[in-house]
Amino acid sequence: MARIELVDLTKHYKQGRNLVRALDGVSLTIERGEFVSVVGRSGSGKTTLLDLLGLLLKPTSGRVIIDGVDTADLGDGDRAIMRGERIGFIFQEFNLLPTLNALENVMLPLRYRRHRDPEGKARALELLGAVDLLDRMDHKPSELSGGQAQRVAIARSMVNNPALVLGDEPTGEVDSETSMQLIDLMRKMNRERGVTFVVVTHDMEIAGRTDRMIRLRDGRVASDEPLGAQTAAV
Amino acid sequence: MLEILRNLTRRKLRTALTVLGITIGVLALTTMGSLAEKSNSLIDGGVHYFRDHVSVAAASNGGFGGILTIDKAKDVLKVDGVQAACADTGSNVKTDLDLSFNFGPGDQVIAEQPGCQQYSTFKFSYAGGHAIDDYGSGQLVLGSDIAREYKKKVGDSMELPQPPKKFNPDFVGHQFTIVGILEKTLTAPDSFAIVSFKDGQMLFGDSLPSALKGHVDATQLATGINVYGKPGVDLDTLANRINDQVAGVRAIPPSTLVKAFETASVVLTGITTGSALLALVIGGLSVINTMLMAVTERVREIGLKKAVGARTRHILVEFITEATIIGAIGGAIGLLVGWALTTVVNAGLTSNNQAELFLLTLRLVGLAVAFAVGLGALAGVIPALRAARLDPVTALRHQ
Repeated sequence: MARIELVDLTKHYKQGRNLVRALDGVSLTIERGEFVSVVGRSGSGKTTLLDLLGLLLKPTSGRVIIDGVDTADLGDGDRAIMRGERIGFIFQEFNLLPTLNALENVMLPLRYRRHRDPEGKARALELLGAVDLLDRMDHKPSELSGGQAQRVAIARSMVNNPALVLGDEPTGEVDSETSMQLIDLMRKMNRERGVTFVVVTHDMEIAGRTDRMIRLRDGRVASDEPLGAQTAAV
Repeated sequence: MLEILRNLTRRKLRTALTVLGITIGVLALTTMGSLAEKSNSLIDGGVHYFRDHVSVAAASNGGFGGILTIDKAKDVLKVDGVQAACADTGSNVKTDLDLSFNFGPGDQVIAEQPGCQQYSTFKFSYAGGHAIDDYGSGQLVLGSDIAREYKKKVGDSMELPQPPKKFNPDFVGHQFTIVGILEKTLTAPDSFAIVSFKDGQMLFGDSLPSALKGHVDATQLATGINVYGKPGVDLDTLANRINDQVAGVRAIPPSTLVKAFETASVVLTGITTGSALLALVIGGLSVINTMLMAVTERVREIGLKKAVGARTRHILVEFITEATIIGAIGGAIGLLVGWALTTVVNAGLTSNNQAELFLLTLRLVGLAVAFAVGLGALAGVIPALRAARLDPVTALRHQ
């Protein structure tokens, strides 16, 4: 479980002569075990926020503090180690490696750990069981449906026992019924394993199933509201 | 590792063509290299063979192959600094014109005056049998190549010179008993047929044009004199002294011959290096191209790997390993084809009574393997660096 603090976080890009303020002074705290959705229009800064949280980008200014560790001080190598050992990723387009089967894809993050994890394979199998894909563990991504591929990606995001899982439009490539199954699966992982989830989505029905919805507009937090009651109603 | 092997099979044709590029390079290196190794070994042997004495030939001929008389050896012996002057004879084993390709002079019947072998630092060792009786007759020792060419073993008999294919009324042949076969020396003696000096003179006399035969006494003939210096005597100086003091002969300073051999060696090594460079250009560029294409195709995968914790060195190692495997596979195939080719050509030449053309040495095999693997790894560096330096965010969203 991770507690995340964002302190006056900004990310500016140069696009030709224009300065794009993708994120412009965002301060937030996400508590351990929360399931947070980030919504907003295209260009509102959702993905930039997720990339900064996932240590894939460095901020122009401000700080990202994960469990008390100020990530601004970390070099590229340490950021990679932190990503590998503490953060899981789920992407819109699944991003499974085509040459690996489902089990090997789930186990991919184990490959880059500093120390060999003797229980890694058992955990990968257990996670494949949890996403109900044990019978498909030998299948390549090309032999899986969109929903199955994203379930493999969810299992992969959990294999290193991360404190934080980041989802970038994780239901963007599947139909609405599968979307609900996937978000329920993530919710289950969040509740049963206590992992903090931050999911970027433009689907309000998906956002409605999270604990808290942060709305971004022009790189700033437009609203930040708990959804406990709505979740209960769903 | 399994993923790397599977990645290689993603674009089968492209991988196969790249492997072919390396294969051609290593094949060139193997065949050209073994050609150079064969001739270099002859050259090394030549350097060894000529370094310990001064070769003296008839002046009129300006080189080897002229006619001397053994009296000249006595004259040379009188020159200050000469320890021994041994007349020798050389004639061809084959009567017919030898059109086969040889690095050396081809199969030669060699004979030296009795007792001279002790002065030479080039010592023969015997794979079977023993040396000829220096004062005897009808005995023969064969070099390893010539023994194999004629499929002879100790105890067999052999006619010298070999009879011509077309009947020739002037041909005179003599039967010899093979008393010994030399160990392979990888140089000139491999194609020597060694007989006693008396027999050598007889064979040389027989080989003379018929117009000349009746006018010479074969027992006085020689084709050259091998002059051995006393300890501490400079052989080049000795050669000059012989030229000054003995009329009708031409002594060749050993350094001139050694230099000529070494120049030839440098030229042949140049050919090897040239073929290696050719392989480097062809194979290396194709590997770089293939790996750059692989990086472009796998940008998103690289982004994903970085997102899930891969560091720069992980990506570097993965791509360099893939390139190295391409190099190793190409190298192994090239080496195998090269080995098969050189073996088949050598066997073909031998069965045709010709000398072997190729010598695939262990050091050449080692060089080819190291070259292919090293080249693959080196060619993988630039694409791997490009992959490793990819920004994960850009890579992940690459279309």
